[in-house]
Amino acid sequence: MSEQLIAANRSRNVALLRYLVLPIVFLTVVLLGGLRVNSDGGAFIFIPPPLVTLVLAALLLLLSVRGGLIETRAWVGYQHSPLANSTSISTLIALFFASAQAFNSVLPERGLLHWLFSFFFLWTLWNNQFSSFDARRLMRSLIVLFGTAFVLKHMLVASLYEPDGGWLKRIAGTLVQGISLGTLDAPTFSPATGYISFFTLALYISGLLLIMLTEQTETSQQLALSSTSETENRELTN
Amino acid sequence: MQILGLVLSLAYAVLIVWIYATEPRTFREAATGALVAAGTYQVNQEKFDAGLALFRREQFRAARDEWQRADPAQNDALTQFYVAYSFYREGWGRVYNDDDLFRQGLEKVNRALTLASQPLNISDPDLAMHSAAELKAELEAGTERNWGDVNPLKVMKKRK
Repeated sequence: MSEQLIAANRSRNVALLRYLVLPIVFLTVVLLGGLRVNSDGGAFIFIPPPLVTLVLAALLLLLSVRGGLIETRAWVGYQHSPLANSTSISTLIALFFASAQAFNSVLPERGLLHWLFSFFFLWTLWNNQFSSFDARRLMRSLIVLFGTAFVLKHMLVASLYEPDGGWLKRIAGTLVQGISLGTLDAPTFSPATGYISFFTLALYISGLLLIMLTEQTETSQQLALSSTSETENRELTN
Repeated sequence: MQILGLVLSLAYAVLIVWIYATEPRTFREAATGALVAAGTYQVNQEKFDAGLALFRREQFRAARDEWQRADPAQNDALTQFYVAYSFYREGWGRVYNDDDLFRQGLEKVNRALTLASQPLNISDPDLAMHSAAELKAELEAGTERNWGDVNPLKVMKKRK
């Protein structure tokens, strides 16, 4: 296969990812991030993103730009056509709301736990703004952040408050509520909620990994192009 | 590909906003809501008629159950009118009215009035009130407290 054909395929795949796959992936995260399943009867409950998740999403996006996960010039700029710019902006908007919904998915819905989790997210993201990050390190940090929150919310807290849990769990739940004067109260959802959240987070992380992949592909393509032009220039001067 | 991506993204985003705005509780509700949004929603006539037969036999709860199945989106003015009427008839009492049922009836008749594009008049000989406005006034009067409530002659009044 000639190099030109490889380069053409590469740019076609990058375009497919950026303009078609990524928006669908992120919008699916937006859809599922606020979905909970009621423990009585299994009815759907749609929880729109709280205000704090929008702040968290903004911080995360800022961090992604600083960490080099999103090369803004590769997405939006004078060199691109207006249509390409519009599509990229819509993908970035989808990414913003997907981030908000990813946080919404792992934040307890109300009470002190909601604010505790929000505070820890804010603290981590704010601290990270002043650390030196590259895309890989940022991805690892995000996986750990979302993974920990998922385990805490959907496994630890959910098991404390599940209505059909054992007596030991119920005693622990009542004790926690009593000590905290009822502020650690959490709504109980069907176990399906945890599965949906896991799928949502997996999809969100996959989307971010795909972004990293497209950025790397484009960087290597640009490097290849610049080295080819340098060689051509050298040949011409000789 | 860019145009396709943009169009798909916009359509998907609109769908998500619609889902979060309407908050369907089941897939069935979501499907019904989609039919309403598309303008192709129709009441199940067979179930509506079954509900009407039960209503005429004074089995109001069973009638409402049938009408709920006939109009799951609660989007048909006529069905909502009959549901309100069933609340009225069930809640009506010679000595006192059931306030809770009357309030539910009022909610339904208001819904019927909102759904109807023109004044809602029903030519059913079995009914004493043929318009939604009349029914609404009757339900409102039933929930109000006044000195007329202690009038002993009230027992002579007739159910409409």
